[in-house]
Amino acid sequence: MGLRARMGLLLLAAAMLTSCPALAQLRSVDLYAPRPFGYVIGDAIALTAEIALDAPYVLDPASLPQPRPLDYWLDLRDVRLKDHGIEDGVRHYTLDLVYQTFYAPLEPRRLAIPGVALSAVDGERRVAVNVPAWSFLMSPLREIISTAPGQAMALRPDIAPQPIPTAATMRRLIMVLGLTLVAFLALAWQKGWGPFGRRRSRPFAQAARAIAAPLATAPDAPSYRRALLALHRAFDVTAGRGVFAEDLPAFFEAHPAFRAAEAEVRRLFAASRRVFFGDDTQGAQRELPPLELVAISRRLRAVERGGP
Amino acid sequence: MNTGRAVVITSTAVLAASLIAAGWFGARLLIDRTDNALIASLGSGHDVAVSPDDPPALLFARLHFLVTRDRLDEAQPLLNRLAAGGDRRLAVAALYDMANARLRLAIDHLGSNKIDPAIPLVRLAKDNYRRALNLDPGFWDAKYNLDIAMRLVRDFPQLDVEGEEIPPEAAKKLWTDLPGLPRGLP
Repeated sequence: MGLRARMGLLLLAAAMLTSCPALAQLRSVDLYAPRPFGYVIGDAIALTAEIALDAPYVLDPASLPQPRPLDYWLDLRDVRLKDHGIEDGVRHYTLDLVYQTFYAPLEPRRLAIPGVALSAVDGERRVAVNVPAWSFLMSPLREIISTAPGQAMALRPDIAPQPIPTAATMRRLIMVLGLTLVAFLALAWQKGWGPFGRRRSRPFAQAARAIAAPLATAPDAPSYRRALLALHRAFDVTAGRGVFAEDLPAFFEAHPAFRAAEAEVRRLFAASRRVFFGDDTQGAQRELPPLELVAISRRLRAVERGGP
Repeated sequence: MNTGRAVVITSTAVLAASLIAAGWFGARLLIDRTDNALIASLGSGHDVAVSPDDPPALLFARLHFLVTRDRLDEAQPLLNRLAAGGDRRLAVAALYDMANARLRLAIDHLGSNKIDPAIPLVRLAKDNYRRALNLDPGFWDAKYNLDIAMRLVRDFPQLDVEGEEIPPEAAKKLWTDLPGLPRGLP
């Protein structure tokens, strides 16, 4: 009801009450209306009536007016009734009426919106509830005889067709494509596709990390064997299958980056052959000391990362 | 490993959904671009056939093309379609442009002193302006042009209350009651 604050209050107490019993049942009909002047052709006018009835009575919905042309110049556009319920034995209603005037005055002219006759019922008795009439001033839009330069009856121009706006669709498309890219990158990162593959599986980095500490602190036979095994596993993971000394040419074929460390790789495989097939860990450790094994693992890690 | 699976599932779902959405928006964009090309070609004076299922903006462009060339009978079905459609802004524009076309034609008739064909045109124009103002009571150009139409052929209570067609002699009488066709000052 913020509208009410802006409206000039036009309080017309229920002076239309006719019969004596009705006095008791109809408490009040207050009409709230906007400014009563300055209307031009085509304006919509919203009136609000507040109706208070004694409790057993309810407004008869059938007595509400239907939106329709009321006169050749006046349309009733909208009728809305709100029931605010019973408070202290009085039932309150708000009736919103929207009219539209199409009168084309030649000079300011007073016109009246007729009252609305409603009725309230409590089962058997029927009471008239009259929303009062309201009058207002309409103003002309144009002078009677045009004194403007140019044509006397120049119409306002047409509305030209506009293209269908596409900017919003374009923006949404770009946003959705961005989301697609993000989702694809997340998937590729997780799956190790494309450039993420190198980040994803770095078996030599893992092997280098795993063997460096044990070999530096306790370079004994079991940790030496474990270090060799770790490096073999790194070769296997890189190649996708088991790599033995005789598979090395094929391995270098498939992973040419490792050719840079071919000599070290061959030394590594020779030592490993001694350990696992010749059972000569001592000899292998002489041929390839543990610290050199650590150096080889770091070299392979660098190659794997794409370095020298 | 669980977070890895979650990432894979989530990103696959988002990827699929966003691909579908991208396809839909892309198709929309393509359709809109095609329609805009048709609207532009109508605007530059090339007639393009439209079907009733075309978007309202294209129907309105065709309607504008037709009414600016006084092909009002061809434009009427488009107007009915637009006025019944959901796009209120275009419905108002279509009603207003049609009313303008009728009023312009009526003023042309009056200019060559052909009063009989002018009166129904003015009445139809007034009706269209009123419908446009019903949809948009704050449309000043429609108010102004309706005011012009009202002064050409005024409404009178007894005729409208009966709700019947004006008998021809009444229309003639009505015309003589007019405040005056301001072609030059008195």
